[in-house]
Amino acid sequence: MSESRNSRLRRPETLTALGIILVAAGFLIPTSNLRAISALLPAAMLIGLIVLSVVLLLADQRTASAGEKAAPVTKAPKRVIGAFLLIVGYALATDFIGFYVSTTVTIPLVAWVFGYRSPLGLLIATVIVVGTIWAIFDFGMSQDFPTGRLWGG
Amino acid sequence: MYSELLHALPDVFALTNFAAVVIGVIAGIVVGAMPGLSATMAISVLVPFTFGLEPLVALGLMAGIYNGAMYGGAIPAVLLRIPGTPAAVATTFDGYPMAQKGEGGFALQVAVVSSAFGGIASAFALMLLAPPLSRVTLLFGPSEVFWVAVFGLASIIFLLGGNPVKGLISACFGVFVSVIGSDPIYGNDRFTFGQLEMLDGINIVILLVGLYALPPVMDLLETPLKTDGVNASKLGTVSIWKALPRMNYWKTWLRGSFIGIWIGILPGAGGSMAAFMSYNEARRTSKTPETWGEGEPEGVAAAEVANNADTASALIPALTLGIPGTAVAAVMLGGLLVHGLQPGPMLFRDNPDIVFGFMWQFLFGAILLILLGGSLATNSFARLLNLPRPLLGSVIIVLMLIGVYSIHGRMFDVYLMLGFGVIGWLMDRLKFPLPPVVLGLILGGFAEENLRLALRIGRGDPMILFQNVTSLVLVALTVAVIVGPTLKKRYVDSRRTA
Amino acid sequence: MLNIFKKTAIVGTMCIAAGAALAQDYPAKPIEVIVGYSAGGGTDVMARTAAPFIEKYLGDGASLVVKNMPGASGQIGVTEAANAAPDGYTLGTFNLPGMMARTIDRKADYDRDSFTYLANVVNDPNVIVTSKKSGLDTIEKLLEEAKANPGAITVGMSSLGGDDHFALIKLQNATETEFTIVPFKGSAPARTALLGGHVAMGILNISEVAEFQDQLNVLGVATRERSEFAPDLPTFQEQGLDLVNGSLRGFIAPAGLPEDVQAKLIDAFTQLKDDQEFLDAMAATANPVEIVTGDDFKQLTSELYDLASGVWETSPWN
Repeated sequence: MSESRNSRLRRPETLTALGIILVAAGFLIPTSNLRAISALLPAAMLIGLIVLSVVLLLADQRTASAGEKAAPVTKAPKRVIGAFLLIVGYALATDFIGFYVSTTVTIPLVAWVFGYRSPLGLLIATVIVVGTIWAIFDFGMSQDFPTGRLWGG
Repeated sequence: MYSELLHALPDVFALTNFAAVVIGVIAGIVVGAMPGLSATMAISVLVPFTFGLEPLVALGLMAGIYNGAMYGGAIPAVLLRIPGTPAAVATTFDGYPMAQKGEGGFALQVAVVSSAFGGIASAFALMLLAPPLSRVTLLFGPSEVFWVAVFGLASIIFLLGGNPVKGLISACFGVFVSVIGSDPIYGNDRFTFGQLEMLDGINIVILLVGLYALPPVMDLLETPLKTDGVNASKLGTVSIWKALPRMNYWKTWLRGSFIGIWIGILPGAGGSMAAFMSYNEARRTSKTPETWGEGEPEGVAAAEVANNADTASALIPALTLGIPGTAVAAVMLGGLLVHGLQPGPMLFRDNPDIVFGFMWQFLFGAILLILLGGSLATNSFARLLNLPRPLLGSVIIVLMLIGVYSIHGRMFDVYLMLGFGVIGWLMDRLKFPLPPVVLGLILGGFAEENLRLALRIGRGDPMILFQNVTSLVLVALTVAVIVGPTLKKRYVDSRRTA
Repeated sequence: MLNIFKKTAIVGTMCIAAGAALAQDYPAKPIEVIVGYSAGGGTDVMARTAAPFIEKYLGDGASLVVKNMPGASGQIGVTEAANAAPDGYTLGTFNLPGMMARTIDRKADYDRDSFTYLANVVNDPNVIVTSKKSGLDTIEKLLEEAKANPGAITVGMSSLGGDDHFALIKLQNATETEFTIVPFKGSAPARTALLGGHVAMGILNISEVAEFQDQLNVLGVATRERSEFAPDLPTFQEQGLDLVNGSLRGFIAPAGLPEDVQAKLIDAFTQLKDDQEFLDAMAATANPVEIVTGDDFKQLTSELYDLASGVWETSPWN
């Protein structure tokens, strides 16, 4: 007995193929506003993506009907989503609050959340990394990092 | 000219000038080794700073950084499968498997010796052959450069991985990303959605960091207590004197140097293409192609020799014609202009001591790699792997942000990088190969631009593409690359069945 | 409601007061100069070379800090400068005709009234060059060939909608000829294609060909008088062709700068004209100087805008 229809559609490769088809088709719309010669290469690539994704989808469905279960993309989806959200949060914080504050908080926070809990180690690592960055980029090269849009910088 | 070379030598050994090269090489290795930071970024940060420096100090720093970074990129490529610079992508193919087998130390020594070999060869090409090689550059007009790009794109077929459909999807994706930005001829925007930040196209570093650095970081955080990965105790550190006799890669080194120098003098393509091509050629001619991709030291040698062999040679068109051979050379050209050194035939006549001194600095930078590279990599960077995985992950996140932000000094690029990160992570998990994306991005738009320029020159007649010997040779080479392996296989098969 | 008016009035007076205070001890803090290109580019080098001289003439320990905001051929930086506070502490570099052409061929968040015009500093005139292989070594031969075979001559240049392009349009209009435009990405690749003989003719700027005079035929310079940068090259007007065009680089501030701050800045820029040390430094970095200040600069910008929009109406380039 093969997988149910519903779960067959939720196989990662099938979902990816469907996603590529949708996005590529979406990008095809603006190509109509371009001159033919400008649109040629991008349209060719988008159509290529769609065709290849259809092939991928069919192949994946064939393996599905042969009864093979697809491997999950990750065994720990919560950790992955959490990690990604932390990284996005770090980028946003840098943008709005400022680079040095955000970095000083993020290094220990991420390491702590994901299992490294030695307070001394966290402190030393943070001081070394932030200090080195400041010494090289700010002090040495007078590079400006974001100071935070919230403060009008 | 050769007497001018010798005349420039004493200045190079002035204390500050020589110290600049040493500091540059060390800084370059460090920058290259940090995932997210690239040579282009390091030198562009340095350029405004060099306004107040003596020319040979400024140029020495840049020459050192360039040489150092091209090798430094190999360190995380071997240890973490994160190429430290775009040119180190091909180094991951065999470097990382070697590290997993406990031969990471040897891989790094191979990388350092190969890098130095390529750098020295390239520096000699710059010193002795700059004028004739710049005439070679002039042979390459838009139609010839188009064929070079096609030749490079053809090598994607060796990088498709186990599932050709997925490999081709990767390649199409890469080429598509390369057309984002302003149209090469008309300047109108394509797929920028009104964002000025995207008009200049997607910088390779943004894509590379997203695609190659984010997935391993997620791995570090996803399974923080994993112990079977690479760590320093399994590094297999070897001293360079023990490692040297095991390296018998003369053919690969010479071929890789030749490829690197050649790609370097052609405008636009740069170190990553040189490394890919050298890798492919070395594997194609290898007696044991099946071991490639599973930890073949010669693969590391092929990639690393070529990405250093285009450093100095990329300056040949930059100095003589004002057209940089690589992105790094483009930034360095700015550094030269800052010191009133304008590219052109007069440069060598007007400022011989500085120009030839700069060439010597490239040579010494490459030689210094052997002395500094090996010990620095194995004694300090490899130890970073002893860091707890969550801490290593969080530090790399910070470096990624700095590296991407510093390219243009804007957060937009960081968000873009995170977007590519999601795509990269999915591709990694679903086993889509990443190298075709990189090559597609580097060469796709480049091929398009030159094809359209050529067609304009030919006033729409495609025959312009086949009108001279250089083009025809390139077409023949491309066909040979695509058809060659299948023919060879058929031949072997037919002999087996017979 | 009344309250709001009152507040506005108070704030207004305060601003004026602040403005007055500002001008007396301007500059009281470092002045930021936004450059729309990467460090090491032509415009950046101009800004960095000029900065110490402007500091000198502003006096009082003034300091200029160059900030690079590269992207979209300078548009990101100039937009940032246009929208900065008009207090004299943010200036920007300005490129013509590019910055005006971008308001025509693209959506731009600024127009010609968004700026206080300080000074144009560099005028890099266009030159027409031909490849040695083409055999077209005089302007007569070139025009003869162009008339005999319309469109047969390929012209390499750095981009569409830039000074090179407008120079060609002027040439075509003045001589009733037709050429095939080959827009490279930047002038160095265009020059290389010329050196290699892949295109027959090129429109570049004088600073870009000065080092290559022996390898190319330089047919003429699009200036009224011979350029000091390369005095041995004849102008087109000497050869009976009315063609004057070039690439300009200068400095602007956001619109609405307090008048006395503006006067102080313009005064500093005016003094650059006679500073030999400055002129030498600019010549060494391939920047032919032509200082045009204040209202004259504004007028120049308007003229170039009209030129660009006129070209756009008859032959849009994208």
